[in-house]
Amino acid sequence: MPLIRRLLESRFWALMLKEIRQILKNRQLIFLLTFPPTVQLLIFGLALSPDVDHLSLGVADYANSAKSREFISALVENEVFKVSSYQTNQVALGRQVRVGNLTAGLVIPPTFDRDLNEGRSAEVQVFVDGVDANTAGIASGYLNQIANQYTRRLNPQLTSPPVETQTRFLYNPGLTSSWFFVPGVIGLVLTLTGSLVSSVTMIREKDVGTLEQLLMTPAAGWEILLAKVAPLFILLMGDVLLASAMGRFVFQLPFRGNFLLFFVLSGLYVFVSIGIGILLATLSRTRQQVVLTSFFFNVPIIQLSGAIAPIESMPPFFKFLSWFDPLRHYVAISRSLILKGAAVDALIPNIAVLFGFAAILMLISISRFRSQLN
Amino acid sequence: MASSSPSTGNEMRTIHSKAVTIQVEGLYKHYGSVAAVCGIDFEVERGEIFGLIGPDGAGKTSTFQILAGVMEASAGQARILGRPPRDARLNLGYLTQGFSLYADLSILENLRYTAGLRKVPKADFRDRAADLLTLMGLEQFPNRLARQLSGGMKQKLALCCALIARPQVLLLDEPTTGVDPVSRREFWDLLAGIAIEGVTVVVATPYLDEAERCHRIGLIYEGKIQQTGTLTELRANLGLHRIEVRAENLPTAEAALQAALAPGETDLVDLQSFGDRLDILTADVDTATVQIRDILAQKQLSLQSLEANDPTLENVFVNHLRRQGADPSYRPFPYHRRQSRQLSRHQDLQQDASALPEPSVAISADRLRKVFGEFQAVKDVTLTVHYGEIYGLLGANGAGKTTTIKMLCGLLPITGGSMSLAGETQNLHRAEVRSRLGYMSQKFTLYDDLTIRHNLEFYCGVYGIPRSLHREKIEWVLETCGLAGRENTLTKRLPGGWKQRVAFGASVMHEPDILFLDEPTSGVDPLARRQFWRLIRDFARQGTAILVTTHYLEEAENCNRLAFMAAGEIVAQGSPTQIKASQSGQLIELVTSQTQTASQLLKQQLPSWRVSIFGDRLHLVLDRPEQDIGLVIQCLQKAQIEIRSQRLLPFTLEDAFIGTIQRAEVSP
Repeated sequence: MPLIRRLLESRFWALMLKEIRQILKNRQLIFLLTFPPTVQLLIFGLALSPDVDHLSLGVADYANSAKSREFISALVENEVFKVSSYQTNQVALGRQVRVGNLTAGLVIPPTFDRDLNEGRSAEVQVFVDGVDANTAGIASGYLNQIANQYTRRLNPQLTSPPVETQTRFLYNPGLTSSWFFVPGVIGLVLTLTGSLVSSVTMIREKDVGTLEQLLMTPAAGWEILLAKVAPLFILLMGDVLLASAMGRFVFQLPFRGNFLLFFVLSGLYVFVSIGIGILLATLSRTRQQVVLTSFFFNVPIIQLSGAIAPIESMPPFFKFLSWFDPLRHYVAISRSLILKGAAVDALIPNIAVLFGFAAILMLISISRFRSQLN
Repeated sequence: MASSSPSTGNEMRTIHSKAVTIQVEGLYKHYGSVAAVCGIDFEVERGEIFGLIGPDGAGKTSTFQILAGVMEASAGQARILGRPPRDARLNLGYLTQGFSLYADLSILENLRYTAGLRKVPKADFRDRAADLLTLMGLEQFPNRLARQLSGGMKQKLALCCALIARPQVLLLDEPTTGVDPVSRREFWDLLAGIAIEGVTVVVATPYLDEAERCHRIGLIYEGKIQQTGTLTELRANLGLHRIEVRAENLPTAEAALQAALAPGETDLVDLQSFGDRLDILTADVDTATVQIRDILAQKQLSLQSLEANDPTLENVFVNHLRRQGADPSYRPFPYHRRQSRQLSRHQDLQQDASALPEPSVAISADRLRKVFGEFQAVKDVTLTVHYGEIYGLLGANGAGKTTTIKMLCGLLPITGGSMSLAGETQNLHRAEVRSRLGYMSQKFTLYDDLTIRHNLEFYCGVYGIPRSLHREKIEWVLETCGLAGRENTLTKRLPGGWKQRVAFGASVMHEPDILFLDEPTSGVDPLARRQFWRLIRDFARQGTAILVTTHYLEEAENCNRLAFMAAGEIVAQGSPTQIKASQSGQLIELVTSQTQTASQLLKQQLPSWRVSIFGDRLHLVLDRPEQDIGLVIQCLQKAQIEIRSQRLLPFTLEDAFIGTIQRAEVSP
């Protein structure tokens, strides 16, 4: 076993053993590695859902007829709306929407039946609370759609529009929004955890003053860095497994691609996120500073990545900027592998960019490592 | 204390007439099963400065916390101004270890905050704050933030805060740790002034030269006060005299005299080696002098000088503790790496150093400069350190010592000049160079969250010590530090002084050729400090070049050569004896009837650094003593101050330091 003996004699092993011992004694680190990722995944996966249902609807039904009640029940049928108040007065209804008690208000005029019976188009008035633009848009869309269907049911002989689109959703047939979010959130979790954990571990040496001592030993900068990165890397790969398991079992993600490939590419991204953390640590002096700086970096990284907000809806400048965001590429990779089952060749540009990031970050960190005391 | 028995009443009266302000009887403090204080009794009178000195963990801080009323005693009682400490809090100023200021508040805001806590009326506050700040020399920048102040200024501000409520009792727990010598002396001058005005001061300090300025001193060890008395009384109790021996080839002389220390052989009691002299303690100066001469003559060593002197407080302290068996065990370092090479070099050193044509140079710097932005931190520093030499770098905070040492060991790039390290001028970062260096930085150099053993294993591994030797080296460190059997303790649980010892061990396990020590003994107690220096000396004798910075001028005597730094420049350089001898003027000790008034008067006549109060005596530095002493006497007589005695004293290194620095400031 001369090889093992040589390893045990080596400086690298001494450095690595020290890191492992410090990590084992550091309950806070173990906590940081398990608790926040779990909570983040659950919160983003479950709470951050753009689906709109159970919108509160107020009704002022001046017609109060069988037809008008039928129309209302058509609205609540598919649980998009639920009627939470009946008003006798249009003004009161308007006020309720303004105050925010109701998302939408529907006014059915007394002429509703007469207009329908006489073959004229009946007009109903709708108030929508426009504060939440997304919900307002969806609510008015639904209202239109339901009203159209209702009309068609009343006059089956009415000709349908000449062109009708039939949409089929690929990869996510149920349009489950968590399928869209969770792969992105896995990337987000790796970014936050990886950069925070690595920067805090790095800065601790500087904060308590042992870094100077370490720089005076014969250990080379890359040895010190690698010894710090290796155990963290292993722990963060544990986070990848944790997140994938949650994705599979809590959110029922399909994992259509090769899981090993997903795991290896996640490893590449973990390396990038550790690199970001180390870079932050060499730029800062104290622990407090590094935590604050990491916010400054991580928030734009996440916002530009498309993990939460779609890149397509960004202004052109930011769309361009997002190409320089490593998380964007990892999110693309993980969505492709988890949802589409894409093959490697489709991902080559993204992988290349991540490699580039990992290499550049590590090189900068190593070169800054020695000069950071100045 | 509502007792009305006549005896108690009498006692109270006598206490009043003596004006005892602090009274401690049978005080105990237990932390779980550990007894920190085991039955302390003492009294302090009004206007007295009472010093508590003792090694780390002797129970000083516990005693202070009980006196300050922040902690309850387990048994016994402490009374301040006749009341329990908690009730006397408003009359009490307490300065804790470390800086107890709010770093993000300004000087004035810190003062106002403390004054508010202590219910100082607003009208009084303004006058008192102005007076105190002027007294401390802080009046020019009342709006500067506390964290921007130097260590010395911070402590002065902390003292202001303690004094703002006009307390009758001042408790100071190591107030000058980390404060440079100049500020320290000013701080003590202030204390002397405060005491004369009737404030009772209790102070703990690890600096024994400083403790000599107390009126009375209590020696505390293992939770008990072992001895109390004035400096003179303590010296007399020791019953020993100190002889300074200067001879050529000190190591051989030391070995010869050490052999003679065995009881019954000679009258020599204790031997301590310094940078360029040996100190010998003896009960009988005359016999001992003859014996020393005989021993050195037998070894054919020529004696340069032999001077009898007062024992220092350190002698009292160390000898007393030795009798208690508190001496840390000494174990020679297990040398392996360069034993053969060292042996030959060691023999070279045995011969007269001057006989060697050019002892090899370990560190050399030529006109070294460092500029941070606009600020010139180091200006034209030129020095050489040879293998086998202990070179000391001394200076006030901010004088550029740490910057210099960091440049010399390659941690900081140099702005100008040239340097060489271990024969290399370039690529000082190479592993081969650094494996020959040892470094101990000012801050803690151990990993707090690892056990002592894991820390030591790490340093063994990272310096590439063969695995087969790890055990021996680690055991050496543990035994030297007195930590055998406690190696699995987490490092953060060790008191500061012990951490320093382990850190020193960790930085020398790989037998470095060149050792950099940046304030290695800060916070280490005198006994351990002595052991520290013995180890450092051992390394030097094995051929290691040692560059050390320190605040403790008494321990700078251990250096073979030293340099004083002020404002980034070296202002004096040489052996301790040379530096002391090169001081112009003379040090005169005066005992007068009114120390404080005399001091104030003389400070008007002379630059204030020339006058300082040491307990009940005055120290004067006079450049032309024959003429100046006449003026001094005239001045004092005019004020009807009686001069009880006057004598010449040899300069201490501290006197030399302060003199050199002050003269350098006057004529830049």
